[in-house]
Amino acid sequence: MRILVPVKRVVDPYAKVRPLSDGSGLDTTGVKFEINPFDEIAVEEAVRLREKQADIEIIVISIGTADCEEQLRKALAMGADRAILIETSHQFDSQGIAKELKACIEVEKPDIVLMGKQSTDFDCNQTAQMLAAKLDWPQACFASAVAINGSFVTVSRETDLGVETVEVPIPCVITTDLRLNEPRFVALPGIIKARSKPLDRVTPTATPAPLTRTLKIESPGARPPGKKVSSVEELVGELKNRGALPA
Amino acid sequence: MSTEALTARGGDFFCRTPDRIFTAEDFRGDDALMVRTAEEFSRKEVLPIQERLDAQEEPLMRDLVRKAGELGFCGADTSEDYGGLGLPKNLAARMLEMLSLNASFSVTIGITSGISQVGLNLFGTPEQKAQYLPSLTSGEQIGAYALSEPNSGSDALSMTTRADEKGDKYILTGTKMWISNAKWADQFLVMAKVGGEKVSAFIVERDFPGVSVAREEHKMGLKGSSTARLVLENAEVPAANLLHEVGKGHQVAFNALNLGRFKLSSMSIGPAREALRVAADYAQDRRQFGVPISSFGLIEKKFADMAAWFYAAESMIYRCGADIDSAFSALGGTPDGNRLAAEEFAVECSACKVLSTELESLIVDEALQVYGGYGFTEEFPVARIYRDARISRIYEGTNEINRIFMADRHVRRAVEGKTSLSGRADSFISDLCNKAFTAFVETYGTDGFGKKVSQVHLGALSDLLALNYAEQSARLRASQTGGINESLAAHFTNWATGQAARAYQVAIGESVMLPEWARVDISDLARAVYDRRIPIVAH
Ligand SMILES: Cc1cc2nc3c(=O)[nH]c(=O)nc-3n(C[C@H](O)[C@H](O)[C@H](O)COP(=O)(O)OP(=O)(O)OC[C@H]3O[C@@H](n4cnc5c(N)ncnc54)[C@H](O)[C@@H]3O)c2cc1C
Repeated sequence: MRILVPVKRVVDPYAKVRPLSDGSGLDTTGVKFEINPFDEIAVEEAVRLREKQADIEIIVISIGTADCEEQLRKALAMGADRAILIETSHQFDSQGIAKELKACIEVEKPDIVLMGKQSTDFDCNQTAQMLAAKLDWPQACFASAVAINGSFVTVSRETDLGVETVEVPIPCVITTDLRLNEPRFVALPGIIKARSKPLDRVTPTATPAPLTRTLKIESPGARPPGKKVSSVEELVGELKNRGALPA
Repeated sequence: MSTEALTARGGDFFCRTPDRIFTAEDFRGDDALMVRTAEEFSRKEVLPIQERLDAQEEPLMRDLVRKAGELGFCGADTSEDYGGLGLPKNLAARMLEMLSLNASFSVTIGITSGISQVGLNLFGTPEQKAQYLPSLTSGEQIGAYALSEPNSGSDALSMTTRADEKGDKYILTGTKMWISNAKWADQFLVMAKVGGEKVSAFIVERDFPGVSVAREEHKMGLKGSSTARLVLENAEVPAANLLHEVGKGHQVAFNALNLGRFKLSSMSIGPAREALRVAADYAQDRRQFGVPISSFGLIEKKFADMAAWFYAAESMIYRCGADIDSAFSALGGTPDGNRLAAEEFAVECSACKVLSTELESLIVDEALQVYGGYGFTEEFPVARIYRDARISRIYEGTNEINRIFMADRHVRRAVEGKTSLSGRADSFISDLCNKAFTAFVETYGTDGFGKKVSQVHLGALSDLLALNYAEQSARLRASQTGGINESLAAHFTNWATGQAARAYQVAIGESVMLPEWARVDISDLARAVYDRRIPIVAH
């Protein structure tokens, strides 16, 4: 069995970033990059599935500049078997990424695509769904538990009403939610072992113009200072003054 | 092996300007990933349980060491043949810095992964290594290093613990004081005098007959670490556990200390890094006069100072570590080669130890000041960091002992042809340093330099050496990496110039005209700390 895990290089979610002064993007000088946390959970889950079922091969894939090797190496150190880097400086949107992944999947023929539900940089939450549609594969999104049963995968997701459990036939696309697992520390011997694991570099099959274009990125405006009120009457009066309540 | 194979020599900072030095930014790729794993380990496993560690709740520390061992942190720079990872000492030190965000864990892991293994690594026979290293590198066992005694601290060779040969055993008797890890240690590297005269090193297992550990010392800080006496009463140690040779224990002890001083430097900036982080967060939260205190000029200045001090310490430490690694690859392998390699950068190791631990003190002190009254309480983490930092200037050779050593050793190395006293100055500080050494050598000659020159003057000369090394390292690093680093280095140069001028005045007794002050945007540096762009640099 083969599991494909796409991993995205994103700005450290805990870093403070500022927009570039011309609004064309973010100033990332001096900022750390990480594996998108949801993708890291997907890698961890794949490794855990293999701990239960030894015949699983885990392939990690990233689309981006040569710098993505850093994140792929980490995924290899966590336990993935090999890595593919689709090396490009082209800016893909979710559609474009889904197309690239589909092209790769047709070659690698994984049984399961296990991926983060969204990335912490753009929060789109749509690539997996688009990919499943393009492949015409079933999808099970926002997994809080994953188990392989022969030619099916059982996936649970937490909803406001309780836990929903579905079963999907293999091949399928699964996305991971935050509570699925807590990724392990990468052990130093794992990092050393990862040096000799294969990392293939390929070029994208196409570089379609993105369907959505970013016009401008700006910081949220400074909020005007609040005001302390001493009574309900005063509060209502203030709200009326500001037009939040009818006068 | 001859020292001609060396590309960088100890003392280079004094007499030449290297084209390139290794910098913290050079930990890339896999190295960076390892360093980040270490930091994550500290943040997720150690920092959340600091209070319980301080209460010595069992078996928390032992468990932490075991977990660290599973990840590879207990033998990073020990050979793969003995369960280590064979990584460079410099990388091991960088990881140790990140494992040192809490000082009690730092000293525990620092000793079991460091000084308790160094003796075996440098001087052990293959049999001794095979017997004792794997359980340390895996984290299953904990090691300790026992040199000090109640009446023999700085004057380490005055020890009275003795070892007498009896059949195929040595019988050891004496008390070793202040032994870090004693409570948990399974094996001790013990220094004792064979026949009451010849200093020798022994590997002593906790379970050997006649070995016991006394109660914990009641310390002002580092409460989560264990410090206790090791009592040897006719302790029976197999003759095979003699390390190196009878009468050569001082080589084991002092070379372990050379490398120990380098590692301690990393261990001292880990807590400083954490102090800066928590203080920066606090300063942005705390409001007075209607604004965050982080916006006040004098608070900004503290952060600019702390960041520059940190930067300089970091610059000298990882330059030194890379040089030590290159000395080991050129010379190491045999006990003699290892000894030469460990000694080559002894002056730099001491410079790192003295200056990093003193910069650590300055940083934690200013960090506490940022907290105002709250810093003086146990409600906030900075009080612990402050207390824990105090020991750094005392152990691994007090800073006074290191100051007496440095200037003397530098002159002796020059006499031995290992470095040169006729240097080409590349900064105001190195010019002062050169002038001062030239004047003292003219007056006192090189013979018995350390005995003839007064301690006050030796201390001032050593200060000049350490400042010279740090300033050059920070400046070269900044010119290699650019960006905000140039301001950090310039800010440090301003500070170090003042310190060096004072040291020069103490040494020579003449006043000094200070060079022009570099203009540095203090707010810009402070903002970089607030935004976590420094000192948590990107890898
Ligand atoms: C928490 C802790 C952990 C420790 N862990 C270990 C350990 O694991 N193993 C171990 O072997 N030791 C350990 N030590 C001992 C430590 O290395 C010694 O405390 C240190 O070497 C100083 O010795 P001392 O305390 O006897 O001070 P002393 O030597 O009595 O020094 C007192 C003062 O006099 C100064 N002084 C001494 N001699 C001179 C001189 N010639 N010229 C000028 N000034 C001088 C010193 O600098 C110091 O300021 C530890 C100590 C502590 C507190």
